[in-house]
Amino acid sequence: MATPANTVIVIGAGPNGLAAAARLAQAGKKVLVVERAAAVGGLSARHEFHPGYAVAGILHDEALLPRAVAEKLGLSRHGLKFQKAPATYLAEASGPGLLLPSDTAGAAEAIGRRSAHDAKSYTAMRAFLDRITPLFASILSEPPPAISPGSAGDLWQIAKRGLSLFRIDRKDLLELARVAPMCVADFLNEKFETPLLVEALAAPAVASTWSGPWSAGTMTNFLLRECAGGEAIEGGPPALIAALLAAARAAGAEIRTETEVARIRLENGNVAGVTLASGETIDAKVVLSSADPKGTMLKLLAPGTLPLKIEEEFINLRARGTAAKVHLALSGPLELTGNEGQLDEAIRIGGGHVDDLERAFDAIKYRQFSERPNLEIRVPTVADPSLAPAGHHTVSILASFAPYKLEGGWTDAARERFGGAVIAVLEQHAPNLRSRIVAREVLSPLDLETRFALTGGQLHHGEIALDQLLMMRPAPSAPRYKTTVPGLFLGGAGSHPGGGVRMTAGVLAAEAVLGG
Amino acid sequence: MSAKKYDAIVVGAGHNGLICAAYLAKAGRKVLVLERRHQVGGATTSEEIYPGFTYTCCSYVVSLLRPWIIRDLELPKYGYEILPLESTFTPFPDGRYLMRDSDPERTRRSIAKFSPKDAEVYKRFGQEMAELGRLIKPLIDDPAPDPLSRDPRELLRLGRLGKQLRGQGDEWLYANVKMMTMSAVDFLSERFECEELIAPMAISGIIGTFLGIRSPGTAYVLLHHYMGEIDGSFRAWGLPKGGTGAIANAIAASARALGVEIRTEAPVAHLLMKGNQATGVVLENGDEIHARAVVSGLDPHRTFLKLVGEEHLDPEITQQVKRFKMRGSSGKVNLALDGLPDLACLPGPGPQLTGGITIAPSIDYLERGYDEAKYGAFSRKPFMDVLIPSLTDPTVAPPGKHTMSIFVQYAPYHLKEGAADWPNQREAFGDAVIDTLSEYMPNLKDRILHRQVLSPWDLEQIYGLTEGNIFHGELSLEQLAFLRPMAGWSRYKTPVDNLWMCASGTHPGGGIMGAPGALCARTMLGKRAV
Amino acid sequence: MPIPSPFHERTSPLCTSYRWKDWAGYCAVSSYDTSHEREYFAFREAAGLLDVTPLYKYEVTGRDAAALLGRMMVRDVTQLKVGRVAYTCWCDDGGKVVDDGTVARLDEDHYRVTAADPTLHWLHALSRGFDVAIEDSSARLAALALQGPTSRDILKSATDADLDKLKFFGVTKAQMGAIPVWISRTGYTGDLGYEVWVDNDQALATWDALIAAGRPYGIEPAGLDALDVSRVEAGYVLLGNDYFSAKKVVLESRKSTPHELGFGWMVDLNRGNFIGRDAIAAEVKRGSIWQLVGLEISWEELEALYASFNLPPSLPVTARRDALPVYAEDGRQIGQATSHTWSPILKKYLAIASVHRGFETLGGKLRIEHTVEYERRQVTATVAKLPFYDPERKRKP
Repeated sequence: MATPANTVIVIGAGPNGLAAAARLAQAGKKVLVVERAAAVGGLSARHEFHPGYAVAGILHDEALLPRAVAEKLGLSRHGLKFQKAPATYLAEASGPGLLLPSDTAGAAEAIGRRSAHDAKSYTAMRAFLDRITPLFASILSEPPPAISPGSAGDLWQIAKRGLSLFRIDRKDLLELARVAPMCVADFLNEKFETPLLVEALAAPAVASTWSGPWSAGTMTNFLLRECAGGEAIEGGPPALIAALLAAARAAGAEIRTETEVARIRLENGNVAGVTLASGETIDAKVVLSSADPKGTMLKLLAPGTLPLKIEEEFINLRARGTAAKVHLALSGPLELTGNEGQLDEAIRIGGGHVDDLERAFDAIKYRQFSERPNLEIRVPTVADPSLAPAGHHTVSILASFAPYKLEGGWTDAARERFGGAVIAVLEQHAPNLRSRIVAREVLSPLDLETRFALTGGQLHHGEIALDQLLMMRPAPSAPRYKTTVPGLFLGGAGSHPGGGVRMTAGVLAAEAVLGG
Repeated sequence: MSAKKYDAIVVGAGHNGLICAAYLAKAGRKVLVLERRHQVGGATTSEEIYPGFTYTCCSYVVSLLRPWIIRDLELPKYGYEILPLESTFTPFPDGRYLMRDSDPERTRRSIAKFSPKDAEVYKRFGQEMAELGRLIKPLIDDPAPDPLSRDPRELLRLGRLGKQLRGQGDEWLYANVKMMTMSAVDFLSERFECEELIAPMAISGIIGTFLGIRSPGTAYVLLHHYMGEIDGSFRAWGLPKGGTGAIANAIAASARALGVEIRTEAPVAHLLMKGNQATGVVLENGDEIHARAVVSGLDPHRTFLKLVGEEHLDPEITQQVKRFKMRGSSGKVNLALDGLPDLACLPGPGPQLTGGITIAPSIDYLERGYDEAKYGAFSRKPFMDVLIPSLTDPTVAPPGKHTMSIFVQYAPYHLKEGAADWPNQREAFGDAVIDTLSEYMPNLKDRILHRQVLSPWDLEQIYGLTEGNIFHGELSLEQLAFLRPMAGWSRYKTPVDNLWMCASGTHPGGGIMGAPGALCARTMLGKRAV
Repeated sequence: MPIPSPFHERTSPLCTSYRWKDWAGYCAVSSYDTSHEREYFAFREAAGLLDVTPLYKYEVTGRDAAALLGRMMVRDVTQLKVGRVAYTCWCDDGGKVVDDGTVARLDEDHYRVTAADPTLHWLHALSRGFDVAIEDSSARLAALALQGPTSRDILKSATDADLDKLKFFGVTKAQMGAIPVWISRTGYTGDLGYEVWVDNDQALATWDALIAAGRPYGIEPAGLDALDVSRVEAGYVLLGNDYFSAKKVVLESRKSTPHELGFGWMVDLNRGNFIGRDAIAAEVKRGSIWQLVGLEISWEELEALYASFNLPPSLPVTARRDALPVYAEDGRQIGQATSHTWSPILKKYLAIASVHRGFETLGGKLRIEHTVEYERRQVTATVAKLPFYDPERKRKP
């Protein structure tokens, strides 16, 4: 197949792949997106797990989506609408739970009904986070800083920029330096006396990471999340995909589904195109992969292609899945005790104490899943009833923790046992749940790997850990999307600023292609 | 009493306090050291707890005492003598064992039984660590750089440091970032494949911390293990002759020779304050002693909350002090033995008993011990670092008899029943230690003449270590360098005028290293504070 | 603490000098007699039998064995025919030499690699994605080098191998009586010679068979001192002495490239990718910093130098490994001689040296340090072709 010289092949049609395609096509490149699945969207695609029942995406939380990047791509013209994130209901075993609105004032008021001290602390913490957010927003929307001290974009420079440009005062910076390497449990325990709140605030910082709330460095992930967008979008992740697809197509990008790449071809060390699983070859001088970095560098490139040191960087990139997805089809609403009559869109269920979250993490260290997993729940049918038959509901659960390598393997029985453990936790808060279950799907990390081509079943394409962030992400040899293989770029969740329903890495990688 | 005016009073005669005092006296200052206990040394101590047997009660090996301090204070002249400790022996429950000693080829063969690949890598690992350690060395031999300082001199120094770092190349910088942020297990797993080697190597990353070997930030502490090589002196690990107390005695003797006055059994009640200024101390017997400066050799909690008192502190400082995490995590069991025990995997006397014996059979084993401690219980099957000092230094026990020092982790200060429950759990803890060790040394129990169990609560009661933390504060990333003990106060100076800090709670931290004491004195002299 | 080799039972009683050294963790004989002279002349005039078991040996087997070694070695060993051996070095990503050794293709999918340093981890690290099995056969295989003009006759009488057909750098399976052995026409003496590879449990029988067969041909057990003199004459570099493994040194400047060690002829930049290729290609473009040369040290000047002290010339009796500075005629230090020895057969004082580019011209005059009576002096050294000693029989059929 003859292709023009300025063709870019983008591997993967998730948010990053599509955003990269849109950005490149808008800049005049001829773009071909190849997606192995039958539909576009990757983990953000509408996922029908039982006939007539779907969830809005394997990933169900849009809080990381940056408005600025969406604007850069002109997604509002293609139907993307931001909206306020839903309130989150924190369920508790014996008690009314806590409904936490997504705005500071509302949340503080709700917390204040439990503890005046915590409400005050919450407001102060949010104020601190708001003061440092401009710094984080710039970190999250730009290529990562360089490691060499004294070079234009290094960390000190950013800190200095923080001081000058964002007027962050020295006290906040010192506090930032103190808290960033901490564990999230210590930080939150310093601030709050309500265990339920501490656990719920800590949970997102450890979800699908290989760490518990007592692991050092989890505060960094907390900050990276809390200082991100914090908004939601109308229609959930599939609406983002629809807008991205429209934007990419409008700019002239071609998208081919059911097109799996078997090899990235090189000639004289430079990218020459791809060979598909079908045997077909497509020529291109540039390939931008939004697939995970380990898979791209170690499986799509022929063995022996990379220098040993570079290969070892990607071998050492830790990408162990730690969470499972459980999807439920219900014949009625998900009714929680303590919150009667209210239909929540976002729910968190833990053990009630941050130590319970830590215990849930402990299990995977010994290659076991948590017997009492921590649940991050979305009920997408509250906002979009069309995802299920009338009056029916679907529930999307991110259940932590479940190891990629389970002792004894992820047999059908093991998968069902884990599904049972999730139901058992949920049932304590929703006594009439079991009778309403029409169908359930359990996706272990191994399932996530085989079905969605995620190495290790790691949802972030690479664990979120201090040594795998910023210029260390995904690997020291490729911190700015460009790999050591001329023409090969990494623009997926494995690159800075990371995964989730987000598209920044794809856009920044596209800009690296354009810049080079 | 109060007639005599001193340039400086040092509170606490631990090794850092003594070193600080010695350096100040060396510069011609008149210095008084006040010690609560009947002897000097603090946690650097050996005591005859059982007649005829000298226990190395707390700190038990020396590796890090900075060589320049040994030279400056002429410690060998005052009895400082280190006997080499060359091997680490790791027995496994299934009867296999791993021996690492000063013969590289023998060590290679021992590791090769578990993994020939790892045996090859191990030989190069020490060199790799030494190269990475070039970052650490200037950091521990100088006050911590403060990246947020606005002092032009500090910026100049940072600039120089930056230039130096840049000169090392990006690859080295990346390796260092990884070292600083990774867990010991992750860091070692990038190099080694066999757990039997990774587990005993990883423990140097957690000794004295409330962290597990899988906790991020523990890889950095591994470097300390290689400090000996960095100083260019091989076989730097050793046992002080006469127990660690002998080190304190040597430093005290050197200090006295330099003119330092040392008073034991002179507990300080609190500081004499005039406004925000420390003017001296009040002893528990009511005596007041004045000085131009007071140096605290106590940990940050004791220094501010006890010596100074909250009423003299800005509430924000009080809050910061209280946030400084102490959380002791380890205990000691010391034994008097009427003969050598046998290792089940290699019975009889031999080199396997003369070095360190590490009970760290697997990653899971160590991690489970940590998990128990996280939730407020001592490890039922703890990590142990066992030494029989009398094999290297026969002077500490009667002929034919032996002492055994067992460092045990984890023993959390905060039990779920509360720290005050330690007296009720102490002996159960001791039993757990002896029972576990007996799995590797079946005849150990028959040899025991006397047993001393020190829980973190005991360390607090006896040695004044808040929450029993042997490093005067956790060595976690947010409590290191310019953040130790608090942001903005990492230079031995405190928010209280004329009050200085010289112990392990300041940069560069704990262990018998001596750097905080010496650097504090150097800073005080530089600032003309005395 | 070195351990005995499988031949220890035989070599130990013969080592009347008690001169042993540690070679890769084994006790190895330096010289059986107090002087190594007899052993040296066995290599050159009859046959010397040397225990080379301490060499590291690896069996690389499987469908991708050739591809893996193609990735690792600077020389294209993928095209090696079964029954052939290649001498090659291997590099790190930066094109700096890690080690050198031989690669023998024993079968289509079976290579045997020998190395001076442990190499198992390196082989494994490079093998990701390749269908290969890697076995460390170092402790399983014993090896003897039989080197010298009569070595072929000895092996002919001791084995069934068709040695007239075994060319230089060939390898073949053979029977030594009931003992199955591998024989390769390789060695480190620069003479006609063979290496015999055998399972440990047959080691002593192999030794006995060779000694018995060799008696009429003047066979002598030989030690490492004799080898050291021979290998300098043959111009072979020694890892850890003439150059250092890129994996072990701290300073970049201590590392060497293939071209700097005279291994440039091994490098094929026109085949596919291999470890270090890009860096070597860049170096070829740029030119190497160092060049390996042979030096012949002026005997006349040495004699005159000693005479000025009223002494007859005296040189160390064994090959020396202490590096000597080498100067240009204008006095600048431009390199170092890393091995030097008196060659009993050439009657010359020889050195292997690394010099800055530009000083490698054959016949060029340099100066080398020589110490007499604690005084450091210099004598003229002439750049000479390597190998110094290259008898025709080495490669002749």
